Amino acid sequence: MPRRPQIGSGDHCGSTGNATRRVLVVDDERSIRMLCRVNLRASGMEVLEAVDGQAGLELARRERPDLILLDVMMPGLDGWCVARELAADKSTKDIPIIFVTARADPADRRRGEQLGGVGYVVKPFDPVEIGDLVDDVLKRIEQGEREQLQRSIATEHEE
Amino acid sequence: MSIHEREDRALRLQRVAELLAEAVTPQEVLDAILTEGVRAAEARAGAIGVLSDDGESVELLAQQGYEGPVMDDWRRFPVAARLPMSQVIRTGAPLFISTLSERNELFPELAEQGRDGSSIAVLPLAVEGSVFGAMALSFADEVEFDLERREMKVALARQASQALARSRLYAKEQALRERMTFLAQASELLSSSLDYNVTLRQLAHLAVPGLADWCAIDMVGKDGEIVRLAVAHQDPEKVRWAYELQERYPPKPDQPHGVPQVLRSGEAEFFPEIPDEVLEEAIGGDDELREIVDQLGLRSTICVPLATRGRTLGALTLIAAETHATYTDADLQLAQELARRAAVAVDNARLYGEAEKGANAAQALAYVADGVVLLDSDRVVRHWNPAAAAITGVDGAHALGKPVDEVVPAWASLTSHVPLAQPGAPGTRPVTVPLVLDGSELWIAMSGVDFGEGTVYALQDVTSEHALEKTRSDFVATASHELRTPLAAVYGAVRTLRRDDIELSEEERTTFLEMIESEALRLSNIVGQILLTGQLDANAVELSVTECNPAEVAAGVIDSASVHAPEGIALSLSADGAAPIMCDENKLRQVLVNLLDNAVKYSPDGGKVGIRLEQSSDRCLIEVSDEGLGIPSSEREKIFEKFYRLDPQQTKGVGGSGLGLYICRELVERMDGELTVDSQPGVGSRFTVVLPERA
Repeated sequence: MPRRPQIGSGDHCGSTGNATRRVLVVDDERSIRMLCRVNLRASGMEVLEAVDGQAGLELARRERPDLILLDVMMPGLDGWCVARELAADKSTKDIPIIFVTARADPADRRRGEQLGGVGYVVKPFDPVEIGDLVDDVLKRIEQGEREQLQRSIATEHEE
Repeated sequence: MSIHEREDRALRLQRVAELLAEAVTPQEVLDAILTEGVRAAEARAGAIGVLSDDGESVELLAQQGYEGPVMDDWRRFPVAARLPMSQVIRTGAPLFISTLSERNELFPELAEQGRDGSSIAVLPLAVEGSVFGAMALSFADEVEFDLERREMKVALARQASQALARSRLYAKEQALRERMTFLAQASELLSSSLDYNVTLRQLAHLAVPGLADWCAIDMVGKDGEIVRLAVAHQDPEKVRWAYELQERYPPKPDQPHGVPQVLRSGEAEFFPEIPDEVLEEAIGGDDELREIVDQLGLRSTICVPLATRGRTLGALTLIAAETHATYTDADLQLAQELARRAAVAVDNARLYGEAEKGANAAQALAYVADGVVLLDSDRVVRHWNPAAAAITGVDGAHALGKPVDEVVPAWASLTSHVPLAQPGAPGTRPVTVPLVLDGSELWIAMSGVDFGEGTVYALQDVTSEHALEKTRSDFVATASHELRTPLAAVYGAVRTLRRDDIELSEEERTTFLEMIESEALRLSNIVGQILLTGQLDANAVELSVTECNPAEVAAGVIDSASVHAPEGIALSLSADGAAPIMCDENKLRQVLVNLLDNAVKYSPDGGKVGIRLEQSSDRCLIEVSDEGLGIPSSEREKIFEKFYRLDPQQTKGVGGSGLGLYICRELVERMDGELTVDSQPGVGSRFTVVLPERA
């Protein structure tokens, strides 16, 4: 029973119009997807889900979400490849990406920065705060701080 | 003068000319002049003197007819002196003096001399207008030197000049030839053997008696002491005596003359005639020594350093004593040339010895497993042992003598990370650096020592160790990742459940609680598998082999699986006629649990999952099969690698560590068995464990 990319139902958040943030969660772990879904919705966001890189890429192209929470270690197309593909595509290159990964190595952070990420969250993380993080990142991007966000990826050293 | 007299005189001159034509050596020429010539000139006595090499004095070569020790008294006198011969040599004009009073008036110094003659004639000896000596003739009676007489004397002197000049030239050439022959012999001798102790001894003997009555060779020893290597004399008895003397009177290093002085200064010491004060100094008031020195009759000595490349290795001493003529500058030059050649030979022999020692070291290095590379200060490869050749793939023959940057272009960047130790200082730890050679990457552990004249590097190919190390660090990275993911689920679920600002549905709450349970189990499972993998890697897994019945083990595994098996999975066991085998029961159970879990996990749409046992006389075959997704052929070996996961979409639930099949294969192999897989995508998979009867 292969799972298809699912679109979050967004029942209690879908009606806020332009103000509703649409976030794509790309992770092969069902539990991580669920944690993000529940908590992002609690922050009033609409959640799209993809179970692997390929599905995430397709969904991003089709739905143009406001932001992507992207896992790195996934079968097939991994998170790095997804980010590179998105950056190479005019229609998706501006979608902000926050990496959500178990890879805690500084070298990986630098890679995330190089690939244009605007955030880097290391697992395990507090899903309760994920909504605020997304909100904050989007606001700062709107204020023109995208480059600062990008640079901060490699310098932050959260565990 | 009568015609008869004239004829007679002409005949006498003719006779002299004939004799001189036959004379070859200077001695023969002198003999002819002083016998026939003097007689032809009707003189009572005659003498011949020549200008010395430095042009400062007149040396008397021979005399005939004078009384008293003329040869000793007049052996050498200044050209500037107020003497007949000196004057003639100075002016080039013949001198005819008829009376004694006239002589004494012209040359007052001769007034005191005996009455050797009343009249004298002194004639220049010259060739091609250049005066080289004079011939003196003394007459018994007063002679009136009329024109005819004068012309006759001049003619005689001309004949004598030519003969003497020719013979002297001949003698000079002869001497030169002898020297060249001697040097050639010496060179041949010096190159005949690398044992310079032997060749130098032979050289000393070669110099006697041609070049010296005594020849000694002294060398500078290891601690700067003077070692007498050879003494040569024609009489072996005297040689023994000389050695005794050397032992009784060893040379003092600060002695102002002789070998110590030459060794100290590196300059030759030359005494054509040994000054009395030098002898006195050497004797130093020792009566016995004085007697010995007197007996030796040392006359003339040359001591030259054996020096090469700015170092004085020893000294060669030549002594003219009882037979040999006193030394001249030509002898000094010969001695210096001889010493130079000897020094080069010694130096070469020593260098060869060192090279040979080096060759021995090189031979030892040939057996060293580490690469050893020696570079000189110009970065030219001086040594490249076989291990270095094997590591770098560059042949020693190709590397030697070439700049190392040409041999291995990456050398500079390779060694820029390698700190150089100083000799004697504690060595630095080898640094592991990557070396790309012809496209393949090697990891080299390098250390280096700078010894001033160059650098020596030790190389070790640690590519496999590095790969192992990388695997280990990759393992840690991957293992931590594998732990972080379930941890994130557990932590996240708890954090979310504790949120009081949102209302979770009952279904969501249940899902989160189940998530905590299953992910916690997964964590524990992963930790267990990581530990087991670590033990397997460290070869620390111990087998406890007992008699066990594989059919019973399989039945137990099926029983526990049936408790959790999803709907749609039909478990079965086929174990007809299975008999007990020797193996580790727990490990076998672990393998079967893993394989069965996988079979269920990868059968998302249900189907038959079964264990089948088949036994033959010497082995036990256990198959775990499913009707699940199957494994593409390209993945069939990869699934046994650490942390490899087939499409993880299907790996939800307990046990997604990526280590299960790796552990299974390792465990089976430790029990001398085999684990293989056969699969068809979309149809199903069959894992087969084959164990020997006695594992």
